[in-house]
Amino acid sequence: MAKELPGYGTINVPKDRAVPFGAVTPAPVCTQDLFQTSNWRIVRPVKDDEKCTRCLICYMSCPDACWIYQEEQDLMEWVAGFCKGCQICINECPTGALTAVAELDFPDGVIRLDKPF
Amino acid sequence: MAKELMMTGCRAAAEGAKAAEVEVICSYPIRPYTAIMMELAKMVANGELNAEFIHGEGEHAQVSVVLGACASGARAYTGSSGVGVTYAMEVYSPMAGGRYPAQMSIADRTLDPPGDFGSEHTDAMSTRDQGWLLGWACSPQEVYDNTLINYRVGEDHRVMLPQMVCQDGYFISHIPDKVILGDQSQVKEFLPPYRPISPLSTTEPVSHGPQIRPDQGAPMDAARAQTFLAVPKVIEEATADFNRIFGRNYDPFVEQYKLEDADIAFFIQGAHSNTCRTSVDRLRKQGVKAGMARLRWVRPWPTHQLANALGHVKAVGVVETSTSYGGAMRGGNLVHELRASLYDLEQRPLVTSFMAGLGGETIWPADFDYMAKVLTEMVKEKKTRNYVYWIGM
Repeated sequence: MAKELPGYGTINVPKDRAVPFGAVTPAPVCTQDLFQTSNWRIVRPVKDDEKCTRCLICYMSCPDACWIYQEEQDLMEWVAGFCKGCQICINECPTGALTAVAELDFPDGVIRLDKPF
Repeated sequence: MAKELMMTGCRAAAEGAKAAEVEVICSYPIRPYTAIMMELAKMVANGELNAEFIHGEGEHAQVSVVLGACASGARAYTGSSGVGVTYAMEVYSPMAGGRYPAQMSIADRTLDPPGDFGSEHTDAMSTRDQGWLLGWACSPQEVYDNTLINYRVGEDHRVMLPQMVCQDGYFISHIPDKVILGDQSQVKEFLPPYRPISPLSTTEPVSHGPQIRPDQGAPMDAARAQTFLAVPKVIEEATADFNRIFGRNYDPFVEQYKLEDADIAFFIQGAHSNTCRTSVDRLRKQGVKAGMARLRWVRPWPTHQLANALGHVKAVGVVETSTSYGGAMRGGNLVHELRASLYDLEQRPLVTSFMAGLGGETIWPADFDYMAKVLTEMVKEKKTRNYVYWIGM
């Protein structure tokens, strides 16, 4: 019979790179670190709590639910892991409490991450 | 008791889906597969089958609907033909990547243009790199059987992949043949209920189909590739169980017909293998040592099984029934994979390919005689003169 044929080798996905089976994640959650989609952001919205009236227009207008109202502290909280820097919130904010700041200006800016992509 | 009836491949597919007690069906008309949905619609209307029957807006919607159904934990079923198969192309990869083991039953039809109703394998063959299980039946009986075998393999937790169960349009889908339908007790023994992994749920909510980062793409691809390494074993187990429970005699991957002492062999899949089998018999009576290897699964491709089955043959002719314009051999796709499978053998057969059965044309016994002549000449000359021969052209 034939000589031994090559095999297919083995495939071992390293634990730290493993992705959940079928890419299914727990829900509903405001933030999770399994699948983050902020790595193509070039600017982020920075808020001025003095100007912010908690009108929730940013919360309503964000397509990715990246503004959360923290009732206890009476503050708006920004979700870094999913904000894509689209600036809709900045555009919609009636009091000018939000400004776009370049990611380069932040020590944890997405382009400074060890593994941005 | 198991009963034997005369039925078309389309009816056999519907009977298979009924036996599997599919829970969600999504239809959209395109011939020749439409008859499967007509049969299923009747079964649902008559109360023989308790399933949600949804009319899709098109094939893209059909596959999307079964994706959703499968995500919610239902055994889902759809199907298509020809350009319908290619219209749904976008959804095939998410379906496999999300690990939704729904089934799509294909009755082949030639792709446009121009519009042609005839059978040709190019429609489903174009989906072969999307992570689905894929294979062809050669009789209505095998359509019924493959429907059950595919659900069993696809829904196995070591697999969890969608399946394309293919039959040649008209040659199989519309020509009645004897089919033995299994007892529901046999089906129950063979096919356990679908057990979804992390289905959509109101009590344990999950998100399906998220956006991933580029660095998560490779691990997801690798996970699917890893699964395909495990599939052959699951297919072997399922086929052995099927043979035992239903009293059939399938080789898991390749039907080997008179190959043991063959000098020349046809490599083929689907309906035309029936004419091929009788041609092998006729050629043998004329003193030509011919044989046939019939492929049952294109994905996963049975590399080693084919090397073992065909390694000793002197010349192999691949009967394509699908196109790969401008490909390495300028013919179809099967020849690429077969040649690659045989490459590492110390003594490998000469391999050429025959473009036949395109656009729905019949492959006649005389065509197999011609192919046998080409293969015999190759053996005599000890070389492959052409990579491809277009039959009748």
